[in-house]
Amino acid sequence: MSRPDWIILVLTLLGVIAYGLYKSRTSRDLDGYFLANRMVPWYMVLLGIMGTQASAVTFLSAPGQAYTDGMRFVQYYFGLPLAMVVLCITFVPAFHKLKIYTAYEFLEQRFDLKTRTLTSFLFLLQRGLSTGISISAPSIILSSLLGWDIVWTNIFMGGLLIIYTVTGGAKAVAYTQQLQLIIIFGGMFVAGYMVVHRLPEGVGFSEALHLGGKAGKLNIITTGIDGKGFSWNDRYNLFSGIIGGFFLALSYFGTDQSQVGRYLTARSVSESRLGLLMNGLVKVPMQFLILLVGVLVFAFYQFNPEPVFFNQSQLDKLAKSKYKDSLIVLERSYAETERLRTSTVAAPTAPQLAEIVSAKAGYRSTIKRWLNDVGGDDNDTNYIFLRFVTDYLPKGLVGLLIAVIFLAAWGSIAATLNSLSSCTIVDFHRRFSRPLSPEKEFRLSRVYTFFWGVFCVAVAQLAYNLGNSLIEAVNVLGSLFYGVILGIFLVAFYRKKVGATAVFISAIIIEALVILLNVLSRKGIISLSFLWFNVVGAAGVVLLSEAIQLISSKLNTRHKD
Amino acid sequence: MNTEEQEERPPLFKKWRTWYRLVIGCLVLLILFFYFLTKHFS
Repeated sequence: MSRPDWIILVLTLLGVIAYGLYKSRTSRDLDGYFLANRMVPWYMVLLGIMGTQASAVTFLSAPGQAYTDGMRFVQYYFGLPLAMVVLCITFVPAFHKLKIYTAYEFLEQRFDLKTRTLTSFLFLLQRGLSTGISISAPSIILSSLLGWDIVWTNIFMGGLLIIYTVTGGAKAVAYTQQLQLIIIFGGMFVAGYMVVHRLPEGVGFSEALHLGGKAGKLNIITTGIDGKGFSWNDRYNLFSGIIGGFFLALSYFGTDQSQVGRYLTARSVSESRLGLLMNGLVKVPMQFLILLVGVLVFAFYQFNPEPVFFNQSQLDKLAKSKYKDSLIVLERSYAETERLRTSTVAAPTAPQLAEIVSAKAGYRSTIKRWLNDVGGDDNDTNYIFLRFVTDYLPKGLVGLLIAVIFLAAWGSIAATLNSLSSCTIVDFHRRFSRPLSPEKEFRLSRVYTFFWGVFCVAVAQLAYNLGNSLIEAVNVLGSLFYGVILGIFLVAFYRKKVGATAVFISAIIIEALVILLNVLSRKGIISLSFLWFNVVGAAGVVLLSEAIQLISSKLNTRHKD
Repeated sequence: MNTEEQEERPPLFKKWRTWYRLVIGCLVLLILFFYFLTKHFS
């Protein structure tokens, strides 16, 4: 990176930390520290919800996803607006009425202590590990692309935000997320503009879309139905997006404390509802625009030399392996193909474009095969957008876009640290230890926030050392638990006659079933995409708990007779 | 409608139900728009 990039990066990050510290004055009790004294207006609730959901990988991965697989990924979010409506009708009024700090407190009031403790524990386990991955994933990408030391990148990615998160709690998190999202959207807009600006003369936005369309990148709506019927293993289509996405969003926004903690900070039920509904209105268009940047980058590379593989560090790895001579030959051959292509591509017909895409796919698959053989990472989707940024954007803008990656990570991680700390103190420390004064609870909350921050940075380091296997395992972990946790909450809200024991037993049985389905799916015995695990988990707990309650009631009646 | 909902009236509209319909209606329009884009550029 150039000096102007470094200056912009450092000034932006320091500015956000200073702003967070400036806004961090709050009352020294749990209400102030975890809920910002329940005084946050709806638009900050909205930005908090969006900032918590959008991690760094969202902005790195989504354009790459559109580049390789097209825009159909946007369908993943179709269930979200529907989930926002259900949350506003049921979850939000119930949570506000009980004046709770964590979503899991509600479960003790509705069921019993063991259900609350189990659910909160599952949240801490899954979120603690996945937040470490949220730090690790962008750190690995930045350190690979820019040659930064991974340990220091992890510490900067996960460590600096500890300063304002520990000091200011939920209030500092809310105010910094506001500033972070403004910078992030500004940065992404400028990046999108620059892609179009760098297209050749006579090629504009509309032509770029046509080019993307010809290559199948504007496959925004897909049904998942082919000659053999509906594909249950197809990740992103209209039906899995609306049904699976609905259950996933309902579970994430309704039962994950990192999100519940954002709308509990609102000053009233109305402000919470407005924040959530606005999220339902803007999330899909926002994701569409981020994916569109990926299609524009694809169009850009039709007129400019495209790297044979976007992750240069993996090519360097191959250059030191037994494939070094073959790699030189392949790169020469690929460069010649690219030279011919970029000189004749002005207005390719669909068959010409298909031929080019097919030839390039051949080179890429060879590289991937070699990488697999030497134990490298054969997926470069997350590197596509940032590689374009570092190769083609002017000085200064590169620094801004790197800052965007940091800020996106911070917004998400800061909210999670706050929620991990609130669950630890409210669901465990307060519940199982002797009572403390508000001042002591406040100080202990800071200690727990710091502890979780250090824990997540340590997990990030561990994830790097263990490689992709752990990252995949932790990503699967979330989809395995979300459905069951949602099922518990759905029973709590909608099945009033079902008791604690029935829901507890059902949760354990269905959890085992979901894990079994995952094992069968991974071994190729069944075909089921991970989004459907949420449906199975939630519906399974509701139906089984109802059945157990019915049987138990009948047995009790017979016993009495 | 319970007492709490009566106390907390939504902005712009008389009932929250109108907000919910707006959100779902916008989703339907977006899906139709995306369908049109997919067909147009395929």
